[in-house]
Amino acid sequence: MPSERKSLLYFLSMYIFLVIIILLLVSALYYNFRKDLMFTQIRPKLAENAKDVIYRIKEMHQSLGADLHYPRFSGFKSAIYDADRVKIFSLLEEEDIRFDKVIYKTGDKIRFIKEPDAYYLGTKYLIIEVLDDERWLRETVRDILTFGGLFLIFTAFLGFFLAKLFIKPMRESFLLLDNFIKDTTHELNTPISAILANIETIDKNEINEKLAKKIHRIEIAARTISNIYQDMSYLLLNKKTVSNIERFDLKELLLQRISYFKILAQSKRVDFVLNIYEEVYIKADRKKMAKLIDNLISNAIKYNKIGGKIYITLKPRLMIIKDTGIGIPKDKINEIFKRYKRFNESEGGFGLGLNIVYMIAKEFGITIEIDSKPDKGTEVRLKW
Amino acid sequence: MVRLLITAIILVSFSKGGDIYHQNCVNCHKIYGPSLKKLFFDYLLVYSSERRVKKALFEYMKNPDPKKSLMPKEYIRQNGVKKPSKLSDEALKKAIDSYWNRYKVIGKIK
Repeated sequence: MPSERKSLLYFLSMYIFLVIIILLLVSALYYNFRKDLMFTQIRPKLAENAKDVIYRIKEMHQSLGADLHYPRFSGFKSAIYDADRVKIFSLLEEEDIRFDKVIYKTGDKIRFIKEPDAYYLGTKYLIIEVLDDERWLRETVRDILTFGGLFLIFTAFLGFFLAKLFIKPMRESFLLLDNFIKDTTHELNTPISAILANIETIDKNEINEKLAKKIHRIEIAARTISNIYQDMSYLLLNKKTVSNIERFDLKELLLQRISYFKILAQSKRVDFVLNIYEEVYIKADRKKMAKLIDNLISNAIKYNKIGGKIYITLKPRLMIIKDTGIGIPKDKINEIFKRYKRFNESEGGFGLGLNIVYMIAKEFGITIEIDSKPDKGTEVRLKW
Repeated sequence: MVRLLITAIILVSFSKGGDIYHQNCVNCHKIYGPSLKKLFFDYLLVYSSERRVKKALFEYMKNPDPKKSLMPKEYIRQNGVKKPSKLSDEALKKAIDSYWNRYKVIGKIK
């Protein structure tokens, strides 16, 4: 059930995406909260330091330039800048000051910017810088990892149950559909076999021509249904059928299948033109090869023009089935082997045929080449 | 002709900012005005940066406004304000540059 897996994948990726977004958002908020808390805690100390520096530069100012020894303290570094943000004096190692902030962190340092009440020595901005021991950061990371991990485990469990809940109705409907098709297919077999068997037992010489014509049509219809039945049962039971590989003459099988389709072809006045070599052998499962040929011939009839032709060539390691039908648009050739793909809504069918052809060809190492021209016809070449 | 020559000589000798500052500011302040050093630090205290201090000085020299004077009101009432400077804009700017370089603190703090 690939579509089920696909939906589950969509659901899971969306879920994981959302969980990660939530986790990142909460982590970012928590980080900012812890940072602000740290700033609030350290700020009074920094303000105290700023006061000491301002006291000293006020003294320097009042000395009218006689005493210009800048204060140096052991716990912090400082710098002074004027109103045009030009450096007056600095003890800092890096001088990229963010003047729009009051307190901020750069690298492993915290900077606090204080504006003195008057511009002593021209100082508008006093920057106090201390080293951040980053204990708060380690604690924050530890908290985020711990609680984030717990959250992830919780959401993983939740996601698991949600996915199960999400899949349940889908799985049920799949099972329902699957069983329905299986049952229907099974129930189709007996009546179709009965119809076909009974038609064969009718002696065409005993009945009048009008009735014979009607019975002929019934036979064509029954065979069409029979083909659909066979396609469906092949696909549904495909995994369970084991191939019985043998080396056999393909010519015999091909002629047998052509004769089977003669009646159907005649109903559209389609003629077969054969070019068949003797003794063309292939190693494959006889029943599956018959199915492959059936599907190709049935398509060649179905999509042919009234009064068209089907050219069938069989040479060693090559079989060509060519029709004079409606053809396949160039842009759709790549899609024709997909299941349920149909190109002409006017014709019946489920779009299973070429998908089956593709599966069988793949199993026996047969390559398929398709040439098609709209309104000219389609040529299918099988090589092995 | 002689007059023109004398004017030219005076102009050339005045073109050095230091001389303009000494002849037009220091000489007079030494006798009448308040201390230039004290004034410099007052300007620094109020205007902070080089650009702003120079701009304020220039405007005050051109148009001495008692409201803009940094001297105490009592001083203004007793002495009034100075007369507008007769120096050209360029010369005045040179004098102010000399003044700034004489007392600036940037580069002198240790």
